[in-house]
Amino acid sequence: MDTRASVFDIEAAAERLRGKPGALLGLLEEIQDADPARYLSEENLKRAATALAVPPSQVWSVATFYGFFNLQPQGRHTITVCRGTACHTRGSLGLLKDAATLLGCEGYDPDSEGAFTTADREYTIRTVACFGQCALAPVIMIDAEIFSRMTPGRLVAVLSGAKKRGAKKAAHVPRRRYEGEAAPSVEGAGR
Amino acid sequence: MSDTITLSVDGRPVTVKAGSTILDACAACGVKIPTLCHLREVCSNASCGVCAVEVEGARGLVRSCVQQAREGMKVASASARVLESRRTVVELLLASHPEDCLSCLRQGSCELSQVAEQVGVRKRAYPPVRAPRKLDAISAAIVRDNDKCILCGRCIEVCREVQGVSAIDYAGRSQGSRVAVFGDRSLADSVCVSCGQCTVVCPTGALTERDETDEVLALLRDPDKVVIVETAPAIRASLGEALGMDPGALVTGKMAAALRRLGFARVFDTQFAADLTIMEEGSELLARIAGKAKGKLPMLTSCSPGWISFIETFYPELLPHVSSCKSPQQMFGAIAKSWWAEKEGIDPEKLVVVSIMPCTAKKAEAKRPEMNDAWRWWKAKGRESEPFQDVDYALSTRELARMVRRVGLDFARLPEEAFDDPLGASTGAATIFAASGGVMEAAVRTAYELVTGEPLPGIELKAVRGFEGVRSATLALAGKELTVGVAHTLKNARVVLDGIAAGTSPYTFVEIMTCPGGCVGGGGQPVLPDWEKRTLRAQAIYHEDRKLPLRKSHQNPAVATLYRDFLGQPLGHLSHELLHTEYKRKEVR
Repeated sequence: MDTRASVFDIEAAAERLRGKPGALLGLLEEIQDADPARYLSEENLKRAATALAVPPSQVWSVATFYGFFNLQPQGRHTITVCRGTACHTRGSLGLLKDAATLLGCEGYDPDSEGAFTTADREYTIRTVACFGQCALAPVIMIDAEIFSRMTPGRLVAVLSGAKKRGAKKAAHVPRRRYEGEAAPSVEGAGR
Repeated sequence: MSDTITLSVDGRPVTVKAGSTILDACAACGVKIPTLCHLREVCSNASCGVCAVEVEGARGLVRSCVQQAREGMKVASASARVLESRRTVVELLLASHPEDCLSCLRQGSCELSQVAEQVGVRKRAYPPVRAPRKLDAISAAIVRDNDKCILCGRCIEVCREVQGVSAIDYAGRSQGSRVAVFGDRSLADSVCVSCGQCTVVCPTGALTERDETDEVLALLRDPDKVVIVETAPAIRASLGEALGMDPGALVTGKMAAALRRLGFARVFDTQFAADLTIMEEGSELLARIAGKAKGKLPMLTSCSPGWISFIETFYPELLPHVSSCKSPQQMFGAIAKSWWAEKEGIDPEKLVVVSIMPCTAKKAEAKRPEMNDAWRWWKAKGRESEPFQDVDYALSTRELARMVRRVGLDFARLPEEAFDDPLGASTGAATIFAASGGVMEAAVRTAYELVTGEPLPGIELKAVRGFEGVRSATLALAGKELTVGVAHTLKNARVVLDGIAAGTSPYTFVEIMTCPGGCVGGGGQPVLPDWEKRTLRAQAIYHEDRKLPLRKSHQNPAVATLYRDFLGQPLGHLSHELLHTEYKRKEVR
């Protein structure tokens, strides 16, 4: 299953990062990015601990602290719903529940901080505290694409579109972008 | 710069050493600031906020456990704001703490409950916010109840900084914060060596020994069983403390009396087996030096099961250095259920061996699957039965104290009684096993005499006493210079092991004890120890040694009888079957 993760050379990456500030965070990020299910398996966490000579309990501490790190295999597509104050006041809880229902995430607890992945591992639904796009609330992100001023009606359209596209191409999911990198398109910006 | 500074606490001047914390300065003038996360020598991460005081000019309240006192500082230790803040902090900690204090193992020794009383908590002020946590009761030695955890971090500090094990760390964040092992597994599936130091520093009932007093009391009242007891050397210097006497109270005779009143059929002494250990281990050392035994030099002692788990987990390639001798606890069990049971005509299946240990790792050691050599011995003689362990229950000092209280014994008023023969006979060499350096000193007392035929000049080997992390002594033995080492705590064990691995170790023989100060500071001892208490316990041990008529293991008459009637000679065939063992790499999944 983890064919690509076994190709990724954790020990070589650790060698490159050793001694640098944040070596452990950097290594975990690289491991997660290289993993086809975009998560940190316990086996890989242990390898990271050995490679950097850090106690496994400390690696677990770091991996469980940061919401960015996934400890469960992720769906091929990730739907992230912003639960910040601005988005909340403009109905993001309803969007979250609708998305969960549409994608078949029965049993998803919208109050939980955790992510939920469909049984077929097609979709993961998760929340984020704020995208920093409060003026465009409510905001959701599908994979690396941000959709703003979302309504329940548009959510249905976007998600069924994503479902269709997903059926056609088994695309590699680009990793989340950061400030200074090429910005993802913000649909509807400035309207 | 002056060595002292003067500040004012509640309007009164106080002069303290420069570098003192505000907490220390307050203590120096008789003000006891409540603390929870702070523990001298172990932890000062200022996470709990209970020790806050007001300092003139400071913006907010100041955490007195970490803030240094300064010249001219004006501290208000009990202003209205301080008292209110302290109470609120504890009320918030209690919000998610279970209200089952009446059935908690730490009832009576819980720091959280004491601090709650001190700061005036009188109601449940806030509703619980944390989801219930799963009880981790899989380990043979330690039970972890994260519901009772207040996240003070003492256990994490002691595991990492004192022991160098790092089995546990904080995990998660916010309301999901918890103390966890890798993968949120059980301690039993971690690198934990069961040393129990976390259980003596935990301020609440979140980390405790596995309490087996109910099981043992039931067996003591079972007419079909013969329940005998062995007590480790360190217990005589700490049981009194656990029962409300002063730290360092020496209670050997009262302890024997209490055990007899609890219903043990024989009151024996692990010290018998400690003397036996010296005979075997000393012979093994001499054989290794002469190149006549397998195993490498420097030879490392094997009495301390936390240390054995540690080397099996972290340095398995160095296992050939470890003495093949079982620990005294296990030697006792193997001899009691073979030689003694046969001699007394007792069915070994009906014989129950209970040990009283200053230790939690001993619980795990007693349950090691290979520790059933008496059963093998009987099987070889043609007696078929279900396998039984050499030692059935290993109880901590704290558990024995609990049993004494349970049956209502007024411990301080008990008479002084003696141990039973023959497995209760021992020497002062065995007594000092309780303190770091004691096994080495006992071994040298005997080995010197066996090799040279002359008594060791000045029986006390003071160079290996004390609480320095790693100590050494060089002695002349039969024309050879012999350098011996002593290390206590597993962090110091790492220093010795790294030296051996690097080929720079100067030692021929090294004593390693898991806990700070050796068994007097064991993980099964009365909670919340400090160096003062450990020192008092060790002083009691050395005092006992000095007043005993026999102070060398080879002088133990019962051990001589055991060799004459049963074992033959040290390292003989039966010794190998019953008193020696093998170690193996411990894989953590």
